[in-house]
Amino acid sequence: MSAKSSLLKIILLGDGGVGKSSLMNRYVTNKFDTQLFHTIGVEFLNKELEVDGHLVTMQIWDTAGQERFRSLRTPFYRGSDCCLLTFSVDDSQSFQNLTNWKKEFIYYADVKDPDSFPFVILGNKIDITDRQVSVEEAQAWCRDNGNNPYFETSAKDATNVAAAFEEAVRRVLAIEDRSDQLINTDTVNLHRKPKPTTACC
Amino acid sequence: MAAPGQGKVLYDQEGVFIHSSCGKIDEQDTLIPGILRVIEKDEDVVVDWRPLEETMDSSNILCAAKDSSSVVEWTTKERGMHLPDHQNSYEAEWDMVNTVSFKKKQFANGGVQSPLNSQSKWSFLFSLADLKSIKQNKEGMGWSYFVFCLKDDVVLPALHFHQGGSELLLECLGKHVMFCESEQDGRILLVSCQNNSLSQSFENLLEESTYSLIQKLKKDPYTATLASFSKVTNYLFDTIRGSDPVTQRRPREEMAFLGDAIQDLKINQQEESGFEVITRIDVGTRPEVHRRDPMSTAEWEANIDHEGRICNVDRIKNMIFKGGLCHALRKEVWKFLLGYFPWDSTREERAHLQKRKTDEYFRMKLQWKSVSEEQENRNSKLRDYRSLIEKDVNRTDRTNKFYEGPDNPGLNLLHDILMTYCMYDFDLGYVQGMSDLLSPVLYVMENEVDAFWCFVSYMDQMHQNFEEQMQGMKTQLVHLSTLLRLLDSGFCSYLESQDSGYLYFCFRWLLIRFKREFNFQDTLRLWEVIWTDLPCQNFHLLICCAILESEKQVIMEQHFGFNEILKHINELSMKLDVNDVLSKAEAISLQMMKCKDLPLNVCDVIGIKNNGVAGPNEATSEENLAKKHKKSSPQYVPVPVIAANGTKSAATLQTLPNSVHTPTSA
Repeated sequence: MSAKSSLLKIILLGDGGVGKSSLMNRYVTNKFDTQLFHTIGVEFLNKELEVDGHLVTMQIWDTAGQERFRSLRTPFYRGSDCCLLTFSVDDSQSFQNLTNWKKEFIYYADVKDPDSFPFVILGNKIDITDRQVSVEEAQAWCRDNGNNPYFETSAKDATNVAAAFEEAVRRVLAIEDRSDQLINTDTVNLHRKPKPTTACC
Repeated sequence: MAAPGQGKVLYDQEGVFIHSSCGKIDEQDTLIPGILRVIEKDEDVVVDWRPLEETMDSSNILCAAKDSSSVVEWTTKERGMHLPDHQNSYEAEWDMVNTVSFKKKQFANGGVQSPLNSQSKWSFLFSLADLKSIKQNKEGMGWSYFVFCLKDDVVLPALHFHQGGSELLLECLGKHVMFCESEQDGRILLVSCQNNSLSQSFENLLEESTYSLIQKLKKDPYTATLASFSKVTNYLFDTIRGSDPVTQRRPREEMAFLGDAIQDLKINQQEESGFEVITRIDVGTRPEVHRRDPMSTAEWEANIDHEGRICNVDRIKNMIFKGGLCHALRKEVWKFLLGYFPWDSTREERAHLQKRKTDEYFRMKLQWKSVSEEQENRNSKLRDYRSLIEKDVNRTDRTNKFYEGPDNPGLNLLHDILMTYCMYDFDLGYVQGMSDLLSPVLYVMENEVDAFWCFVSYMDQMHQNFEEQMQGMKTQLVHLSTLLRLLDSGFCSYLESQDSGYLYFCFRWLLIRFKREFNFQDTLRLWEVIWTDLPCQNFHLLICCAILESEKQVIMEQHFGFNEILKHINELSMKLDVNDVLSKAEAISLQMMKCKDLPLNVCDVIGIKNNGVAGPNEATSEENLAKKHKKSSPQYVPVPVIAANGTKSAATLQTLPNSVHTPTSA
C-alpha cells in the first residue's frame, strides 16, 4: 500500500450548527453529547479502520462554520483527500449554502480537477421530524453537482454515520487505485502484463 | 527582469567577490569582483550580483534564469556538470553546494529561457520572495561572506564582502523579509515565511468577498504578484508533499493571516534591521511567586468610604491580581473591574447609572423584540444573527447548572442579551465565541441588565478579535510571538520548523480568553485577575507563554509536527491548573521587568518604557503611551537601546495599564 493511502485527510464543512462535530464524535467515539460546545478554531480526530481490506487512518478535520472564520479555516483545506459537505435537513439555509461550501473548498484546497474530487454529501439530523429539505431535493442537488453520493444521517441516533465515512474512504481509495493504474501503465514493469489503459486526459 | 538602472536601487555595494576555483580542486581560487545590488521593481525586490569583468571560460556557464513563477533555477549549460568544488578550510558552506543537485526546470508558459545577465557566467539574480536562508561566517574570520539559499534549495555561490557592506545588506533585506536565527546553526538566518509584498497579495486573496475571487483577480492590479505567488506556494507545497507522510499536509497560507498585521504593527524586525533577532538576550533568573487567598468581603468593605466610593484602588487591584475574589464579591466587584461602575462613584451615582442603563437596555431589547416576521424576512443580517445565536446558546456551558437542561431560563437570558447586543452594535452583530464570553458574566451577575452592560465593557476589550478582519487576533498572535521569542527562541525556532511559528494553535485561547481551557470556576478566577490590568499590559499573553513553556518539553521531545502540536494544545483543555499558570505568568512578568536589555518590541507589547525611568508618579497612561510611541517610531536601531540604569519596579508598571482610574481625593 502506498504511503498516501495509509493516512486519509477528511474535512467536514458546512454551516454552523449542522452537526459537524457531533458527526465526527459519533463516528470516532460512538458517543453523542447533547451538551457539546460549538467549535472554536480547528480540531481533528484520528480513526483507524479497515475498508475492503485496506487499513487506513482517517484524520477527520472539523472547523468553525461561521463565515467570519473563513480566513482561519481555509488554510487547513490543503491536502484533503475527501470533503464531507454537511447540511441539516431541518435548515434549508444550510442546504442552500452547500454550493458555497463546495466552491470555497475547491478554491482553497487548490483542487486540480473538481469534477473527479471525492465529495460526499451528508444531510444530518434526520431524527428531527420537522424537515425543511426533502430527500428528493437533496438527491437532485447531488446529481446536478458532480453526481456525488448522498447520505441521510443522524449523529444523535448513529444512523448512517459510519456508512457515510466509510463511503468517503472508498471514494478516495478508488481514485488512488485509478491513479496507481495510470502510473503502472506509464512505467515499464517486467513482471506484470500491461494493464489496459484507462482513459486519460 | 530587473537590471541595475531599472527600478529603485535599495542597496549597492562594490567589492563583493565570488571565489571560484573553476572546478579544479587544487587550483588557487579565482576571485571574481562584482557589484551586489538590491533593487525594488514592480512590487518585487530582487538581489542582483554581477561581475565587473568577464574573463571566465564559457564551458561552465551558470546562469540564473527567472521563469514566470519567479523561482530562480541554477542551470548548467552542460549536462551532468557540477558546480566547481570549493572545499576550503573556512568555507564549510561549500559542502552544501556539493550536495545540491542542480536540475533543469520546465519553464511555465513554454517561454524561452532567457538567461539573465548572460554576459556573465557567475552573475545571478533572484527575487527576495525566493530566499530561504542566508548563511553568514562567524565573526573574526576575516571579511564576511554570505551564502544565499533559495526556497528550492538552490545554493548560490558565497559572496565575500571584501569592502564591507554585509551588515548594510542585512539591514536592507530586513526591511522586506523577516529573519530568524536557525536553531540548528546560529550562523544561518532563516527567512520567515512572509514577505511584505507576498503576504500583502495573500491578504487580498483572503479578503476577497467570498466566491468571486477569480473574477476579481482579473481586475486586480497585483495580478502578476498573485499569479507568481500561487505558483510559488504550489511549488513549495509539492515539495513538502514529497516528504514525511504524517507531516506532509501542512497549510501554507497560515502565515498570510499574520502578514499585514506584522506590517501594521511595526513588530517586524525590519525596524530593528534584522539584528535584534540574532541577539540572544539574557532575561535573567525567574523569581519565585506566591499567590494569596482570594479577597474576602471584609477586605473589600474596609476600602469603601461612607458614600460608597472605593478607596485604595491600586491596592485592591493588587490583591485581586494576587488572589482573585471570593465568589460572594464577584457580583459587585466585577462591575468595577470591567468598567461598568467607576471606582470613584458614590452609591447614589451608581444607582442613577443603573437606572439609566436599565432604560437603555430595554429600549434596545424592544427593538429586536418588535421586529415582525415579515420584517425579519427582509433583514437577512438579523435573521442570520438570530439563527446563529439560537444555535450557539444551546451549545454554551450546558453542563453548568445555570444553563443545563431543556428550557432553562439561563438560556433565554443568554439569548436575549446576545440579541440585544446585536442592536447595540449591529455592525458586529453576533460572532461565535461571544456566547462564551457572556456566559460567565451572566452567571455571576444573575441579572440581565447588569450582565448586558458588563458584557458590553468586556466586548470593548475584545471587540477587535471578532471584527471582520480579526485584527485583534492577528495583533495578539504577533505580540505573543514577540514575547515567546524573547523567552525561548529555541522553542520558537522549533515551532517554526514545524510550520507552527504563527502560533495558530493558540487561537481559541486568545479569542475567548481561555474560556474553554479551564473549568468554569477557574475561568472566573483567571478573568478577574486579567481584568486588574496588572502587572503589565497584555498579561494574558504571558499566560500563554506560561502554558506553552510547560508544554515545550513534550512537544519537542516527542518531536510533534504541525498536526500533533495543534492536537496536543487543543487537548490541554480542562487539564490546566489555574494557580500554577497564574504564578508562572506572574514570575515571567517579574523576570521581564527586571531585565535591562528588554527589546523595544517587547516593551511595546507589555507596555513598559524601555529605559526604565518612568516613575510611579509619572503622569497618566495616555501620556506615557504617547511618549512611548514617539520613542519607538520607525527608526534604525541596530540593537535594543536600553539605558544601563534601566531598573523597573512593579510599582512603575502598575501605572501603565491602558485604563487607569485615578482615585479622587475629594
